[in-house]
Amino acid sequence: MGHGKYIDPLADARSKPGMTTSVIAGLTGNLYQVPAGERLELQFVVLPGESRDIDLSIDLTGPGAQAHVKALYLCNGEEKVNFRILMHHRAPGCHSTQQVKGIAGGCAQVHFDGTIVVAPEAQQTEAYQENHNIVLTEQARVQTRPQLEIYADDVKCSHGATVGQLNPDELFYMRSRGIPEAEARTLQMLSFLSPVVPAGREEEVEKAVRSL
Amino acid sequence: MLQIQNLHAKVGEKEILKGIDLSIGAGEVHAVMGPNGAGKSTLGAVLTGRPGFEVTQGSILYKGEDLLAKTPEERAWAGLFLSFQYPIEIPGVTITAFMKAAVNAKRKAHGLPELKAGDFLKLMKEKMALVQMKPEFAKREVNVGFSGGEKKRNEIFQMALLEPDLSILDETDSGLDVDALKIVADGVNALRSPEKSAVIITHYHKLLEYVQPDVVHVLKDGRIVSTGGRELIDAIEAQGFDQF
Repeated sequence: MGHGKYIDPLADARSKPGMTTSVIAGLTGNLYQVPAGERLELQFVVLPGESRDIDLSIDLTGPGAQAHVKALYLCNGEEKVNFRILMHHRAPGCHSTQQVKGIAGGCAQVHFDGTIVVAPEAQQTEAYQENHNIVLTEQARVQTRPQLEIYADDVKCSHGATVGQLNPDELFYMRSRGIPEAEARTLQMLSFLSPVVPAGREEEVEKAVRSL
Repeated sequence: MLQIQNLHAKVGEKEILKGIDLSIGAGEVHAVMGPNGAGKSTLGAVLTGRPGFEVTQGSILYKGEDLLAKTPEERAWAGLFLSFQYPIEIPGVTITAFMKAAVNAKRKAHGLPELKAGDFLKLMKEKMALVQMKPEFAKREVNVGFSGGEKKRNEIFQMALLEPDLSILDETDSGLDVDALKIVADGVNALRSPEKSAVIITHYHKLLEYVQPDVVHVLKDGRIVSTGGRELIDAIEAQGFDQF
């Protein structure tokens, strides 16, 4: 678990009422099977000070199943954070979202590998994947590989990936109003992360952002 | 209030300001007029310390201190304000969070305690009313999805809230219809006082019909080529900038 910095998705899935999913921890990662009409929600928070491999394979096996993954990472130093997410739509009318956002400083290395597979029988699929990253230093590295494999024709799918830096115009605008540079950077980073910050962990995330 | 001497500045390798001399006393409103590309916005950018604008010669004294030695935020704390020609959008940051951080940073710099949340909101409401901004804008993300007129009103609202001693209005009148122009002008006029000064940068006389300047300068090709009173505005309106 590592100092409570990391939400164990398995424990999370088990502890939440109303989340009745089959969870199988496989040898190479975590396989989740979401049957008809069920909803899986996973939330990951990786804070500075640890390297993590987050390896997920989610199968939407029954009609109307849903899976929603949110992940936030903040890393610096020599840390390595890897995401491998396979979202497999195997049945019709399923809905999935993936939102992975994070900030890499120091010499951190981040790798995002996300695949959405829509099987031929999975008509009326809705699947969305987003991976947005900010790098703070010349040395930090972020690689992102979003992929779609679609074998059905009646689907709504999109994916988007960006790797960028803090916006200098926004920083200057804030500073010109008297907001100190460090505070302006923090505000910008928090606003960037806000869609993936779990309720109740805002302060912890803010503290971590200030430490970058 | 402000003394600019022989100011030269460049953007990249291009020299834009080629020796500006300008002196503004307390309580004065100066208009800086000029054609596009004259260096008007560069002057505003240099005064507020925008990165990418390099001063190569000359000096700027603000309240007797070296302005160029200060960071952008220090200039704001000292009472300098720029109304942006193109206000920046800050997705994810509400106007309330933005201005609360700004107001409290300035208070802190002056050794004052932070405003209580209730007092801040009351003050904000009052200043928003001044520029006829609807109260729901307090919760909107800064400039995101705002119309041109709403962005400019938001600038004047921020100016009213921060109560600067020297305000620089960079093309605040561009893109405004007559009604919005009047609202902005009323906002600017409401802030005039014997202690507060302003520089109105514009290529157009419109705003100057509502806000009366004490001094008018014509900026052309990086230099001030003429200084006078109201008559300069009429001359520009009649014959353009080519006469200078």
